[in-house]
Amino acid sequence: MSRFLPRLATVAALLALPAAAGAAEPIPVGLVAALSGQSAVSGEAITRGLTVAIDEINAAGGVLGRPLVLVRRDDESNPGKGVAAARELIYRDHVAAFFGGIDTPVSIALVPLANKEKTPFMGVWAAGTGITRNGASPNFVFRVSAVDALVDERLLRYAATVAKARHPGLMLINNPWGESNHKGLDAAAKAAGLSLAGAESFEVGDADMIPQLTRLKGAGADAIILVGNAAPAAVVIRSLDRMGWSVPVISHWGISGGRFPELAGPSAEKVAFVQTYSFFKSGPKGEQVLAALEKAYPAIKGPQDVIAPVGTANAYDAMHLLALAIAKAGSTDGPAIQAALEALPPYDGLIKRYAPAFTATNHDALGADDYIMVHFASGRIVPVE
Amino acid sequence: MLLGASIVSGLAIGAMYGLLALGYHVTWVVSRSVNFAQGSVMMLGAVLAFSLTVGFGWPMPAALPVALAGCAAFGVVLERVAVRPFRVRGSDSWLMATVAAGMLLENAALFLFGKEPRGMPSSLAAEPLTVFGVGVLPLQIVILVAGVGLALIFVAVTRGTPYGKALLAVVQNPRAAQLMGIDAARVTVFAYALSSALAGLAGILIAPLYSVSADMGFVFGIKGFAAAILGGLENPWGVVLAGLLLGLAEALTTAFAGSAATVMASFGLVILALYLRPHGLFGRAGVRKV
Amino acid sequence: MSRAWHAPAGAFLLALVAGALAFRLDNYQAFVLGEVGITAIIGIGLNVLIGLSGQMSIGHVAFQAVGAYAVALVTSAFPGLFWPALVLGTLLAAVIGGLLALPAVRLSGPYLAMITIAAAFVIEHAIIAWKELTGGASGIANVAEMPLPWPYQGGASAQALAAVILGIASALFAAYAWFRASPTGLALVAVRGSETAAASIGLDPVRLKCLAFAISAGLAGLAGGLFAPLAGFISPETFPLSASILYVLAVMMGGAGATLGPLYGALVVVVLPELLAGLAEYRLLFVGGLLLIVLLIAPDGIAGTLERTWRLWRPARARHLSAPPLDLAAFLGHQAAPPPGAPALEAMGLGIAFGGLRAVENLAFAAAARAVTALIGPNGAGKSTALNLLSGFYRADSGSIRLAGSVVGDPAARHLARSGLARGFQTVLLFDALSAAENVLVALHRQGARRPGAAELAVQLLRCVGFEGDPTAPAAGLAQRERRQVEIARALALRPRVLLLDEPAAGLTVAERTPLGTLIRSIAAAGVAVVLVEHDLKLVMGLSDHVVVLDQGRVIAQGSPEAVRANPTVRAAYLGTAATSAAARHPAVATGAETMLNVVGLSAGYGGASVVRDVSFEVRAGEMLAILGANGAGKSTLLSAIVGLKRPQTGVVELAGATLSGLSAAAIAARGLVLVPEGRQVFPELSVLDNLRLGAFARRAWPEGAELEAVFERFPRLRERARQRAGLLSGGEQQMLAIARGLLARPRVLLLDEPSLGLAPQVAERLFADLAQLAAEGLTMVLVDQMASLALAVADRGIVLENGRIVRAGQAAALAADSALASAYLGGAAPGSAALVL
Repeated sequence: MSRFLPRLATVAALLALPAAAGAAEPIPVGLVAALSGQSAVSGEAITRGLTVAIDEINAAGGVLGRPLVLVRRDDESNPGKGVAAARELIYRDHVAAFFGGIDTPVSIALVPLANKEKTPFMGVWAAGTGITRNGASPNFVFRVSAVDALVDERLLRYAATVAKARHPGLMLINNPWGESNHKGLDAAAKAAGLSLAGAESFEVGDADMIPQLTRLKGAGADAIILVGNAAPAAVVIRSLDRMGWSVPVISHWGISGGRFPELAGPSAEKVAFVQTYSFFKSGPKGEQVLAALEKAYPAIKGPQDVIAPVGTANAYDAMHLLALAIAKAGSTDGPAIQAALEALPPYDGLIKRYAPAFTATNHDALGADDYIMVHFASGRIVPVE
Repeated sequence: MLLGASIVSGLAIGAMYGLLALGYHVTWVVSRSVNFAQGSVMMLGAVLAFSLTVGFGWPMPAALPVALAGCAAFGVVLERVAVRPFRVRGSDSWLMATVAAGMLLENAALFLFGKEPRGMPSSLAAEPLTVFGVGVLPLQIVILVAGVGLALIFVAVTRGTPYGKALLAVVQNPRAAQLMGIDAARVTVFAYALSSALAGLAGILIAPLYSVSADMGFVFGIKGFAAAILGGLENPWGVVLAGLLLGLAEALTTAFAGSAATVMASFGLVILALYLRPHGLFGRAGVRKV
Repeated sequence: MSRAWHAPAGAFLLALVAGALAFRLDNYQAFVLGEVGITAIIGIGLNVLIGLSGQMSIGHVAFQAVGAYAVALVTSAFPGLFWPALVLGTLLAAVIGGLLALPAVRLSGPYLAMITIAAAFVIEHAIIAWKELTGGASGIANVAEMPLPWPYQGGASAQALAAVILGIASALFAAYAWFRASPTGLALVAVRGSETAAASIGLDPVRLKCLAFAISAGLAGLAGGLFAPLAGFISPETFPLSASILYVLAVMMGGAGATLGPLYGALVVVVLPELLAGLAEYRLLFVGGLLLIVLLIAPDGIAGTLERTWRLWRPARARHLSAPPLDLAAFLGHQAAPPPGAPALEAMGLGIAFGGLRAVENLAFAAAARAVTALIGPNGAGKSTALNLLSGFYRADSGSIRLAGSVVGDPAARHLARSGLARGFQTVLLFDALSAAENVLVALHRQGARRPGAAELAVQLLRCVGFEGDPTAPAAGLAQRERRQVEIARALALRPRVLLLDEPAAGLTVAERTPLGTLIRSIAAAGVAVVLVEHDLKLVMGLSDHVVVLDQGRVIAQGSPEAVRANPTVRAAYLGTAATSAAARHPAVATGAETMLNVVGLSAGYGGASVVRDVSFEVRAGEMLAILGANGAGKSTLLSAIVGLKRPQTGVVELAGATLSGLSAAAIAARGLVLVPEGRQVFPELSVLDNLRLGAFARRAWPEGAELEAVFERFPRLRERARQRAGLLSGGEQQMLAIARGLLARPRVLLLDEPSLGLAPQVAERLFADLAQLAAEGLTMVLVDQMASLALAVADRGIVLENGRIVRAGQAAALAADSALASAYLGGAAPGSAALVL
């Protein structure tokens, strides 16, 4: 027993190591996202968007005369780990605000913490409706990303009007994201007067979706609503090919990474999907950001190489909006930044002109009007007619 | 239609599980240890083949042996570093050590290969054939043939050639095998190389149907292991059959009970089978002597 | 024992320090500390499973999830019921764990690992599928806060939570220390050490393993219940399979079995990744590498390494606990007195067959209380099998056992143990992870002895059997004599009516055997019926009241030692009859022939002890050398060392002038030095044909046709059986196969270890005729055989080993005429034993 005490003291000392303090006093901003494991791509995409924005801001003199610095923590897609990571960012790194990742459960778990500790939390990917609409007042959670409930309405509207579907069938990834959309799609179908042919789920590791699809086909599905990331979604498309079932496929934005056509083959082009932003849709700001990405990440040689573009684009705009708010607040104090975010001036972002981004009652910068329906054509993402 | 499609899908995926299970079997029968990094080695095979064909533009017939050799080499290193040191101590820690090795390999691949899933082109996965009214890719047939064929070859080699018999002899009586001039240590290394090559082959075969990514092996590794256990690690036929059975169980559950029940049903089957037959469906208990 | 207060005191201190520390930390640090506590609690549970009962689970995160969901769900409906919910979650997890263990305990190794993985998947997906209750994949947000067990303003802070969790963890560390020393804890360790020995003292492995599984699952559930309010949000993704692996890792890194192991492990697996958080993506690479390194360099974990370092600095002092002498008869007392008229143990026509070989047939004898009954017979006669039948380790095909006059209904080992039958094993089976005293204590607990008295009683029993060492020393490190003593003390602790001992003198020096004899007599005198299997006939003859002689599985004689010794059938069974060695000795090899095998100064043994000491001899080309000696003289060890199966401690072996030092057994075999090992070491699942062919593997040949034909000429039985699996052959046939297989290697020197073992006399004679024939054909051979007269009849020269040294060497004929040889075998130095001289 007596050997144990010095040991504990050592660990306590390690825990208590003071965070490095510098002279230029940069402003730390945090990121809690999946940096390892199956969703590591998303963390990488967000990191790229944030990094490019921070580089721009710092090149222009920083905020409040101080440079921004990004502190990243891996949540391993695990809510528990995410909470620990966020606590570390708040209590040890004293971040001014922090960004979230792809996983809705992790973001949901972070909401009470952000509100309790009065640290602004900016979602840039996870689309779970309850993340921003959490009932807290004041609410420290903001988002520059899609909202599942709105996306689901949009997907079904497209299925009914363009694909003329009466009985869409759902193919959902078996995780919280799929489950959240299942709820959203159920509600949206009810509102739109559509009856769903059925809902099937698939695992990330499934290499063949024919059994699920055959079930939907048997149930009379006349369109497939697809919610899943590029790799498993590609398996759905390939399975459809093999069945010889030519059915309209309308997808959430999980497939928006440039590699989807490579993964799914030629039929990828038939899939219509929702998007908040596409680097193929050129504009001066878009080209500028793409050039910055190409410079910072030599693996990127064109829009097709931007992995998970929504994550990058959302993160880029969110970082700039946060910088504006800090500048407006004139401090890195959480409540001040929160108040500033709710009262930002109009801002021309990458995705759109935010006029303004947030209000006291709406913490979602993107709305139903900002979604566009697109598809792949010869390796490019173009709007569908 | 539903039944036919499910059976075809189930057999193709099941053959994949069977191939991986055969890899577990090979090391088990010569060394009473298994490589829990098998899924990661499968990923290594796919990643190597992808890098050689897509990255360096090699033709597949050239890339395949090199990728398999790479996997086999990894197996040899793994045996040296994560298996042998523990087996000579009589410790079971090879289990955790191979898990750690898999973790290392997977995370190394995240950096060297990238985090993004890639699509592996294959002429065998382009145009489906129609078999009994069900669309089947030529590659799926190749996988089935490879799974069953390799089990066949393995049985033929172990039952019919001196080296195969020597392989089996090592497990049955390591002392006597050494006295016959059979180098048990070398045989074990060989088994690990072979097992890893089998996993690599599984990865290369599945890649065009699925995708190539650093974490692709995790789920397959576990399901392959489930097949090996279900079949009874001792029996090469058993593990391949159990792989097919597991694949069929998954496809049929999905088709007739819905996908929500699939994992519960397939792993429930494993628990039930072990409850009824503790040494697997096709395994048998060894004789216990005091 | 006297240190009983250490654990609770330490735990109190730990809780105090951790609690005080928790309130000085910031919110994040407190959260991490809370996670350390939670991981430690799961680790304590896994320590019961892995460290005590030796099972493995890679699915414990599922039990954590069960506990967490139970608490989250109950408190969301009834916020005040946190503590009852915690208890409910713990029990629920324990019940599920116990149920899962029912099949799991029959499994081992990878099968067990798989079932725990499968269970984790099933539970995870059940949680996802049962949306209405569990919230599905989206999980449960806003888990109710934990009501603190003390008045505190403003809800439970992370610091307060951490303090509570660490307090509970500290209490559990103390509970673990207590449990480890409790009867059940000791029994668990015992079962892990040797299920066979555990059954021999009446323990039920299935029940104990299920219990261990339930306890560990329950603690994981408890940890989950504490985790829910700490995290505030739970979902299936909170409990990934990889976390299970991390928990196992924590236990193994910390040091499985050590009380504080899980604490060290939890600190490493929780704090280290946090310290490395800045490495982001590189972190898992680092953790994986670290894990591999720790497993390689610190196999007994941090606790073990600390312990060893500590011992280097301050070596353990042997403790010589004194205890008042024990009156054995009084201790055995009430149970030992048999009902008048009935013998304590009766074997009534017991028989058993293994794969067609009748190992024991119609075994019938009685063992009286207060007497020593010996079972003797040549190797392979079925003595150990008989003992295993009597003690319930083998189930008899026929016959029954009577204990104290009544027939035993269910003769399973642990039932017999509970009915007053205790036994020892041929190779002593102790619970190596326990101390000497604890080995005895486990058995005492079976008798319901109260704890405080029991510890002293255990020491008394050890002293009573002559154990003079440190009773607290781990059994693994004891010398052979002490191990034997501990085993006997453990058996006596059961207060047996009948004590079976299987070769208790094996591995003891001659000087050590006399006290053993005295001890056995004193045990008998205390009222026990002692049944003894022993090779040392000198010991047996001086000790026994009644001797039962077995040969070929049958009783060939029984009676007083004198009567048995004079029995000609017994003599023939032991020594063979010189008259039957019809084989003509081949012409002596001309001196000056090349030296084929040269052994110089060879010593070999186990651990530090030498079984073979400084043995030198040479064998010339075409010569046959016989190595003789009693059982345990070191003959087999010598052969193993020569062929490289056992690395010699010192000395050199040369084959035709070339040294074999450093070569593997396989390489030595490939050079033509081939051993036919003792005990029919065939490959049971391969056919006879394949077994034969593998004989030629050393020279990378695969014999067909003519070459096999030659073997079949010599052993016609094998031709008939060629296609059968070798495991199905009778003992004699297997022996023929092993020899034939050795011949197919075309050896330059053939070593034969006990080739006549268990063969019927006629078969053995045929075999020796064949060996003589081979010798005549010029094959160089070394022969070890207990049939001394036969061996010397065919050999050119002989050497005699005693206690690992050559005590005699000479021409075969001269040795055969030597009366001392007979005494080495039969121990018959008593008057009248002249009849035994060959």
